Amino acid sequence: MKIEGQYLLPAPREQVWAALNDPQVLQKTTPGLKQLVPAGEGTYDATIELAVGPVKGAYQGKVRITDTAAPERMTLIVEGGGRAGTIKASGALTLEAQDGKTMVHYVGDAQVTGVLMSVGHRLFGGVAKQLTGEFFKALEREVTRRRT
Amino acid sequence: MIPAAFTYHRPKTLASALRLLETLGPDARVLAGGQSLLPMMKLRLASPPHLVDISRITTLQRIRKSPGRLRIGALATHWMLETAPVVRRLAPALAETASFIGDVQVRNLGTIGGSLAHADPAADYPATLLALDAEFELQDHRGSRVVVAHEFFRGLMTTALRPGELLTEIRLPVPARVGAAYLKMPNPASGFALAGVSAALAVDADGRCTMARVGITGVGPIAYRARAVEEAVVGREPTDDTLATAAAAAADGVEANADLFASAEYRRHLARVLTRRALVLARDRIRPRRQAARRAEPDAS
Repeated sequence: MKIEGQYLLPAPREQVWAALNDPQVLQKTTPGLKQLVPAGEGTYDATIELAVGPVKGAYQGKVRITDTAAPERMTLIVEGGGRAGTIKASGALTLEAQDGKTMVHYVGDAQVTGVLMSVGHRLFGGVAKQLTGEFFKALEREVTRRRT
Repeated sequence: MIPAAFTYHRPKTLASALRLLETLGPDARVLAGGQSLLPMMKLRLASPPHLVDISRITTLQRIRKSPGRLRIGALATHWMLETAPVVRRLAPALAETASFIGDVQVRNLGTIGGSLAHADPAADYPATLLALDAEFELQDHRGSRVVVAHEFFRGLMTTALRPGELLTEIRLPVPARVGAAYLKMPNPASGFALAGVSAALAVDADGRCTMARVGITGVGPIAYRARAVEEAVVGREPTDDTLATAAAAAADGVEANADLFASAEYRRHLARVLTRRALVLARDRIRPRRQAARRAEPDAS
């Protein structure tokens, strides 16, 4: 499943880049993220608890950041799972400077298995979109809060 | 296919149900007809520690008419809405919508309140309740409040309901001389709407459209009103051409859903086509003025 979109953040590119590479910021902005523990070069162990309607679940996974070219682009690789299934996803983020603001383009591909996909594929795209939206909204709060 | 253990509560009155929900907090889920929640629990996608089964609260099953309104208890089943004479007479588009849900077994157990509170993005009712300008009564142990349909649906499986609150009644205005229709393209396997469109239209004595409401489900993360379509119809004579032109805006600005079965662009296309057809059907169902006067039906005031 493909996830694609863009979001305009009202902060300079360097600042957005720094925020995206700061585990403390990610901890605050990623929906449901309970724990993010550095595990070596560009890798983190993550624990996420999500609730969408009646569906609640805890997921464990690894996040790896590769192919970085500061402050322009990075690739995120996520592998993880919970009782309901597993997910393997990669996403490329591109940061484009626009008059002191930053347009973040994201293109991702996710492979989901288990009950999560067999039952939830109808909803999965919507959930992914909603969570992405929440992430960027929270990131926007973080970068504007820091500036003032 | 066996759900995780949970504590089962079956209050007999609304007051005791609301007290339970208040005490148990977010650990409790409400069980109405169970046609969405129970499959999720059997797959262990959901494992609420407490279930509050409200199905014995018979006062919530009532469907009745009050002046200018149709009042539907949240526990009315899809089957009741499909067949009840008062619904077929005063809100035929709602009966039509109920008749399209799932299969007869689902319709016999599933309830309108359960479906609305679950807020599946492809559920049928939201489109029609948006088009018919419904209001929802929400109650908690302190009191009640009323939320209009377009403020009730907040996001994917997210509604205006707060923890401890129960959706108790759906209220519909029943104006005379409104034509309404619901059309959907179902997923052939699940029956859920790939796209579903409900349209309601009213015209004045000169044949100009005085009111247009279009509710669309299945296309975005939550059902929405297609305001651009409505604005393009109101004030004009609803000819086939006008309605077709207006319907082209049905999916404007909507981030459409995509899944294995239907792409976002296909869903947008369905929204436009079904909107045109639903508008034409709604127009054709507006009862002619003379006939309405002759019948002088007091109920339809």
